Amino acid sequence: MNQEFEPAILAFVCNWCTYTAADLAGTSRMVQQPNVRLVRMMCTGMVDPKYVIKALLSGADGVLVSGCHPGDCHYINGNYKARRRVKLLNEILPQFGIDERRLRLTWVGASEGNEFAATVNNFINEIRELGPLDVRGMAAL
Amino acid sequence: MATTVRIEVGEHGPVPVLQDFFRKLLADESLSGIMIPVHLFGGGMPMPTLVTDPAQLDRADPLAPAFPMSSAKLVSRLSKGSAGERFAVVMRPCEIRAFMELVKLNQGSLEEVILIGMDCPGAYDNMHYRDFLGEREPMAASADFHKALAEGRKPASVELAGACKVCEHPAPQGTDIVVGLFGGDISSGIQIMAASPRGEALLGAMGLPPQEPDGKREAAVAALVSEREVARDAMYASVQERTSTLEKLAQYLGSCVNCYNCRVACPVCYCKECVFNTDVFEHKPWQYLDWAKRKGSLKLPTDTVFYHLTRMAHMSTACVGCGQCSNACPNGVEVVELFRTVAARTQKSFDYQPGLSLDQAPPLTVFREDEYQDTVSHLA
Amino acid sequence: MARRIGVYVCHCGSNIAGKVDCPDVAAFARGLKNVTVSRDYQFMCSDPGQDLIIRDIHEHGLDRVVVASCSPRLHEKTFQKACARAGLNPYLMQHCCIREHCSWVTGDKAEATAKAKHIVEAAVLRVRRHQELHSREVAVVPDVMVVGAGIAGIQAALDVARSGHRVILVEKSPSIGGHMAQFDKTFPTLDCAACISTPKMVAVAQEPNIDLLTWSEVEEVTGFVGNYTVTVRRKARYVSEDICTGCGACLEKCPTKVLSEFEEGLGMRRAIYRNSPQAVPSTPVIDAEHCKMLTKGKCGVCQKTCPTGAIDFTQQDRREVYHVGSVILATGYDTMDPTPMTEYGFGRYPEVYTALQFERLNNAVGPTGGKILMKNGEAPKSVAIIHCVGSRDKNYHEYCSRTCCMYALKYDHLIKDKVGHGAEVYNFYIDMRCFGKGYEEFYRRVQDEGVTFVRGRPSEVVQENGKLVVVGEDTLLGTRLRVPVDMVVLCTAMEARADTTEVARVFGVSQGRDGFFLEEHPKLGPVSTASDGIYLAGTCQGPKDIPDAVAHAAGGAAQALALAARGVVSISPTTSWINPDICVGCKMCIGLCPYSAIEFDERRHIAVINEAMCKGCGSCAGHCPSGAAQIKHFRQVQVFNEIDGLLDRKPDIMALIGDIYETANRAEA
Repeated sequence: MNQEFEPAILAFVCNWCTYTAADLAGTSRMVQQPNVRLVRMMCTGMVDPKYVIKALLSGADGVLVSGCHPGDCHYINGNYKARRRVKLLNEILPQFGIDERRLRLTWVGASEGNEFAATVNNFINEIRELGPLDVRGMAAL
Repeated sequence: MATTVRIEVGEHGPVPVLQDFFRKLLADESLSGIMIPVHLFGGGMPMPTLVTDPAQLDRADPLAPAFPMSSAKLVSRLSKGSAGERFAVVMRPCEIRAFMELVKLNQGSLEEVILIGMDCPGAYDNMHYRDFLGEREPMAASADFHKALAEGRKPASVELAGACKVCEHPAPQGTDIVVGLFGGDISSGIQIMAASPRGEALLGAMGLPPQEPDGKREAAVAALVSEREVARDAMYASVQERTSTLEKLAQYLGSCVNCYNCRVACPVCYCKECVFNTDVFEHKPWQYLDWAKRKGSLKLPTDTVFYHLTRMAHMSTACVGCGQCSNACPNGVEVVELFRTVAARTQKSFDYQPGLSLDQAPPLTVFREDEYQDTVSHLA
Repeated sequence: MARRIGVYVCHCGSNIAGKVDCPDVAAFARGLKNVTVSRDYQFMCSDPGQDLIIRDIHEHGLDRVVVASCSPRLHEKTFQKACARAGLNPYLMQHCCIREHCSWVTGDKAEATAKAKHIVEAAVLRVRRHQELHSREVAVVPDVMVVGAGIAGIQAALDVARSGHRVILVEKSPSIGGHMAQFDKTFPTLDCAACISTPKMVAVAQEPNIDLLTWSEVEEVTGFVGNYTVTVRRKARYVSEDICTGCGACLEKCPTKVLSEFEEGLGMRRAIYRNSPQAVPSTPVIDAEHCKMLTKGKCGVCQKTCPTGAIDFTQQDRREVYHVGSVILATGYDTMDPTPMTEYGFGRYPEVYTALQFERLNNAVGPTGGKILMKNGEAPKSVAIIHCVGSRDKNYHEYCSRTCCMYALKYDHLIKDKVGHGAEVYNFYIDMRCFGKGYEEFYRRVQDEGVTFVRGRPSEVVQENGKLVVVGEDTLLGTRLRVPVDMVVLCTAMEARADTTEVARVFGVSQGRDGFFLEEHPKLGPVSTASDGIYLAGTCQGPKDIPDAVAHAAGGAAQALALAARGVVSISPTTSWINPDICVGCKMCIGLCPYSAIEFDERRHIAVINEAMCKGCGSCAGHCPSGAAQIKHFRQVQVFNEIDGLLDRKPDIMALIGDIYETANRAEA
């Protein structure tokens, strides 16, 4: 059996932009690798840093947070708050060996189905290169 | 020019003289009380005490190298809402900075509080203060402590608390009055400075002999800070090496039993109810078994590393390095060393200095449209 | 009490089943904790599909439902309604997507099936922690407020009033009509602006359902959709509206002259003034900053002159509070001040005018009585009109102001008409934008009138030998030009009002990148905003001409009326909720909320969500360290469970493939 590492990636995406873009990518049948699974949030501003920590400690090798472009947030400015929270996490997590490339923040607008598919595929490839985060074997967390 | 006065210290040493000063301050009709460490029982720990009767200041000892808890949390309780009267509090620089952070979070107010900052050369953690005291009379021991430091001797065989050894804020800022202990011989005199208009008014009314500032205090503080920065950087390097992977971090936190004492002791952990005590982390029995099956084995209690990582996300930008977390840990986990190392990076990244100014909002509570563009990735 | 969960895996014809082994996923779900029933079916959204769910709820006593099919953005409501029909609270259903994000985008069937299983497991784990939620219905106050009484505000007010609903029309200047009242003729029909707008203004004055509040401004708005409380500052007019007959005797006697805003600085007005003889209302106002009586206690001539005793120097500003169900913002635009564009000489050379100033020169009651005259009293023999001054310019406004090409053509015609056919008229343009009905035809007509069009933005206007020389380039011919003219008219950009940011804050709306109020959706939502119950009308949303402003206003009125006519509004329950036992009152959520939907209860020292204003965006919940603030239906336990379900049960997803084949083989056996 092929035991090569396949990343497990969670994407916290906002309902109005990136989730819609994901729908569009689906409708347009843009093939993506299966490693990304979506968690639907109403806004990236809803993404609590604990969700990212939970994902990484529960076996995700990478986390994507994706929402509306600046200025376009359905709730006006949730994406700016998300940006600060992701920045904070990317100052803390790398100190413990969690490469900052494992947590990414992107803006993918509602009409950007192809950008969504490209983002997903590129991220998966990158994480595959980086290797597993390997917490799944850790009993103590 | 801010008022600087000098109180003369005689044969009874600095502690009674300071008590006298605080008695005089308490006599000001605008002040109803003063919170100050007091040796309430024979030996043991001096506890922050709210004194209204000047006579009961006779066992007050703000010079004691004891730091049982951060009184920032106590001043928060005294000023969250209005007491209706003004009172003074005597605190260390780290307690003052922590209190500033709490004021920003609506957990206290400066309106009725006169802040008196003590210069702080450091203190012992709770276990070691007992060793330091031995059988000695506490106030005499306090005087000896400062005498030894002035003479360049180690005051006792035990070490100062880990947090104090790397503290680069020995001088208080943002207070009304400063009690200056650095740069002079406090067995002969202590200089006291007004640092705000309210402080000016109070100090001015006391009619104490003025002293020309001679720059010695500033020089002494600068020298101490340099020393501390070296120790601090060594600590950073050591902690970074010991926690460079999640596995190493888990090991570093190996004796943690999720008692959450560090959180209770932390002055800037201000939540009434920590999320780790709520249903979010109340897992069901079958969930434990599921996770144990997933991994093969599961350390109990769970969420140890999760808790510390979350606390870093929630309060590292506000961490003032007071060390009460380590002080409170029953199992000797080096919490403050870890948190200071993390905080150094998070505070720097947001250019945030906790406790410095009420105008600096906690980093996650504000935002601008155009900032931190390099946090955003372009993966498409 | 153990959960009883029903799981439904949709084939969606072959859309899902073509890649995902639906029976296998249903079988997998059957093995999950507390799943009572697990089915797969061809088309879950069909009637029989929904009936499956309804029947199972009744027969199996299901208390939670999971549907795995298309995107919830399509059918979440469908399945929520189905559950409701079965007597199960609609929010106890979780709809997860195994089509757009799974079957339609995954190449390999085994991978698609494995992914679908994760998605279903996540939904099953999440739905366990769903709670019953109930939408709230709130009554809508039937009255509507319109802010701004330019042509858009007037149109909106008339449309709403004629339906029978009461309108409060607030206008900050002394009379209604907005910028249109300053115009002379309107393109392309060359109707006189006053002639076509006066009937509407009079209709406003006479409409019993419209309360007209001029010389008034909105100070504060609180409340939520259907229930707004608006505080209006009625500025002191110093003239009693009830007593004044509009005779105008006071206007002639006032000794104080002030530069007139209505005349765009080209003429003077008195300290007691009205914008024009046709002003609605015709009651003048007294400018408190310049009136001698109000500043120095002297004069008072107007009061002595007034035949009815309407002048009252003791008047004070007062505040009035109104309750309305919705607000239509029709606050209009400002024209850009071209002074910073020093190359065009506005403010330095007397004969350089802005477009609005040129309108006033043409207007029959303007400073020159409608004649196009220079400041020396003579008619210009040549006029240059420069397009795109401040528009399509990355140094000022990147957008196109939409109306300038057309009014430039209008000016061309007016100059030829009033000054004479011999007048030389030059247009310096980048593109000619003549998009509307009759616009292109009008362009043709003006070209035939002998107007010269030069394609190229001039670099500067200089003074030489008593003439203004426009220095430019004809880019079509590739030649540089220096065109001497008597008068230059600048087509100044239409920009958002200077106080747009403050006004936006008062009403809880936002600004787009161009500074105008932000509409709900650029294509499908031009008259509504992200704040329910606040609508937009006219140029405050973006540059537009009069026909578009009127259409836009009618649209805003229709939406306001839809709300008012229905009489109730349903508030989604997926709002935030702050647990009062956990909240410590740090107030950080209040600053983070984009809708000012969090109030602080001083007595209990806690933050409280205003459910009607909360949109459930999650900004508060994403921050609150103690988890006191959480969004209903997106609570942290729900999301944690979802995360758990999405992640591998075993370390390696490829190892699953072996398991999948094994399971399939066993099932077949």
